[in-house]
Amino acid sequence: MTQYIVRRLGYSLVSLFLLSLTIFLFVRVTGDPAVLLVEPGASQADLDAIREQFGLDQPIWIQYVSFIASLAHGDFGQSFYYRTPVFELYLTRLPNSLMLALAAMAFSLLIGIPSGILAAVRVGGFWDKAGKIFALLGLSVPSFWIGLVLILFFSVYLQWLPSSGSGTPLHLLMPAFALGWYFAAAHMRLTRSSMLEVLGSEYIKLARLKGLPEALVIAKHAFKNALIPVLTLAGINLVIMINVAVVVETVFAWPGIGRLLYEGITFRDFPVVQGVVIMGGAMIVIVNLVIDVLYAVIDPRIRLEA
Amino acid sequence: MRHRCRQIALRLWFVAVLALALTFGVAPARAGDPQGQLTWGVHVTLAPTWFDPAETAGLITPYMVLYALHDAMAKPMPGQPLAPSLAESWSASEDALTYEFVLRQGVKFHNGDPVTAEDVKFSFERYRGASRKLLHDRVAAVETPDATHIRFKLKQPWPDFLTFYVSATGAGWIVPKKYVQQVGEDGFKKAPVGAGPYKFVSFTPGGALVLEAFEGYWRKVPNVRRLVLRSIPDESTRLAALKRGEVDIVYSIRGELAEEMQRTKGLTLKPAVIIGMYWLYFPDQWDAKSPWHDQRVRRAATLAIDYATINQAITLGHSRVTGSIIPDSFDFYWAPPRPAYHPAKARALLAEAGYPNGFDAGEYNCDAAYADLGEAVLNNLQEVGIRAKLRPLERAAFFKGYAEKSLKNLVQGQSGAFGNAATRLEAFVANGGAYVYGSYSDIDALFREQATELDHARREAMLHKIQQLVHERTIYAPLWQQAFLNGIGPRVKESGLGLIPSYAYSGPYEDLTLADK
Repeated sequence: MTQYIVRRLGYSLVSLFLLSLTIFLFVRVTGDPAVLLVEPGASQADLDAIREQFGLDQPIWIQYVSFIASLAHGDFGQSFYYRTPVFELYLTRLPNSLMLALAAMAFSLLIGIPSGILAAVRVGGFWDKAGKIFALLGLSVPSFWIGLVLILFFSVYLQWLPSSGSGTPLHLLMPAFALGWYFAAAHMRLTRSSMLEVLGSEYIKLARLKGLPEALVIAKHAFKNALIPVLTLAGINLVIMINVAVVVETVFAWPGIGRLLYEGITFRDFPVVQGVVIMGGAMIVIVNLVIDVLYAVIDPRIRLEA
Repeated sequence: MRHRCRQIALRLWFVAVLALALTFGVAPARAGDPQGQLTWGVHVTLAPTWFDPAETAGLITPYMVLYALHDAMAKPMPGQPLAPSLAESWSASEDALTYEFVLRQGVKFHNGDPVTAEDVKFSFERYRGASRKLLHDRVAAVETPDATHIRFKLKQPWPDFLTFYVSATGAGWIVPKKYVQQVGEDGFKKAPVGAGPYKFVSFTPGGALVLEAFEGYWRKVPNVRRLVLRSIPDESTRLAALKRGEVDIVYSIRGELAEEMQRTKGLTLKPAVIIGMYWLYFPDQWDAKSPWHDQRVRRAATLAIDYATINQAITLGHSRVTGSIIPDSFDFYWAPPRPAYHPAKARALLAEAGYPNGFDAGEYNCDAAYADLGEAVLNNLQEVGIRAKLRPLERAAFFKGYAEKSLKNLVQGQSGAFGNAATRLEAFVANGGAYVYGSYSDIDALFREQATELDHARREAMLHKIQQLVHERTIYAPLWQQAFLNGIGPRVKESGLGLIPSYAYSGPYEDLTLADK
């Protein structure tokens, strides 16, 4: 078991190293941040001064070594735009993103799981068809469009909800819906397929043969087992919601990490983009690591195969 | 005894009422006291660096905060491109090696400290924003003979010293030395103190900046008690917030959304023509094999563009078609004849140049954010036979290519940099300029000459001559001086938009007023 955990930990560290290298190189091929930090037409001396100030005049490998050395000390560097440590910026925005992500996740699970169960139980029927349409719309309608429609309807037309910003529970409703909409569809689809698989298994047939009421078969025997992959996906999705809700947070002017990433990309703020991507990547790697270890604990075949 | 008890009770009651009134602010407001709140929907995310003039990176956006929190020695104000502010006057020595400023008496920072010559010196030496090297290289010493006099000694005569010190950079915006040293650089950005009309209250990163009127402001007591600058990056959301009355003023609403704003009852479109110039550049004009080498072809391109229709479609007719690449508010500006739309003449010129059926002009490079302007110009060129392909590039990539001189055929350039006509010509016309692909020897000679000319009239004549030559040789096809379209809601009486010439935002903040109820 220890060997298995150590090996998984090794894979995780390699993943993070590759992620850091990839994001470091990719942001640098997108353009020169110095030209975005001054007005077009600024003097060469000003552009050079900015490059020198942020170390962009150094050879790329020196920049990478310095980046990794700082990272090893938990330092993500300083934002070019904010001139503030990236980690501090990240932590400032984290509570807002967590709040939005948890609300969106609650919404997506409350909608996605019951509708997925209903679709699986009534396969081929009205609820299944309605579920398929919902899944199709959820996965294909872009969240910025949903966001704008919500603002026009609930803020401008009905005047019920604030159009943007944060601070009250009312501010949270529309962004949570816009963000959770896509994930609700994803959770619905997975719940449906997972339920169908479980409902077709031998022990469910046995339960039915024993004469157990259908509701009990579904709720007690099928649902519990079908829920495992859904919750696994939900864990990963929560990390995604926290870190990359770029569009929704921008449309609703929600001061979260997604908007921080958007600002980082807009201004070629390399440290911010690197910091947010690495933090998000680290969260996903940790979640996966925990899941792998838990699977190994639950199922001895996994650790023996490994 | 009973009478005395009643007296004591009465006094206690009076003290309690007074304390409550003071605590909860139920005392009636005096006439002229700042009142109410104005909220902005700002198009960009506010950064703490904007709270510190030392960090001003040559962008116009930080000035929306600087005008509230801080004050400058002199700054553009309504009707005055350079109005005395913290400095009540200044003078230059005859040899143009010394500039002396006299500070206004009795001006205080928000924390009560007086504004002194030491603060001015400290602010200059601490400045690390745009043109820092230029300023620090050319200034030999800053002397403070007394608390109200500051003397800048230059290494050599520099006719543009004032332009760079008080108008093109943040070096002339004054911060309190004692306070900065006390709280440190980071502390200052977290709780800035300035000498401007508004005091810092709070800032939520990604959220809002809250400011409160500084009643000790030297120019006048601000009319509005509280200002809130909310960052709303999405244009549609900003307009929704204005429609709903969540904000009172919004910045940067373009195209169809601006038209919708105009149609909405209670909202007013308020354009501000800024120093952002747009033009079409012919980088191949110095290549003898290129069609653009022939001035008739370049002239044909300028005649092919339907300036008025494009202006109407994109900025609702509010941009200014000046025919120049230099803002009309800049010092030493020369007004060329207004460009005309004459497609028949354009075709005739092309035929005369040997292209009766037009020609393939290659690529039309532009910043993707302004591809709508590029598309419109390209369509006009196409109509007279100049066939080019639109190549919208992401902003950073576009300016990188422009500055590295790697763009070919046609370039839709733009600049909103501060300065005067000379600084614009330096970057875009004279040999060695950051965005100059080729130059003309007579223009270069004139440019060098003006740079050392101390006589304002003679220098102006030379700079006018250069601009005339730029126009006559059709080095550029200037498109427009951009209008920044903003919107105001019904609660606003004076938004401050357009009061300061060529300034995009509300200002001066102390002049803003709310509509009567």
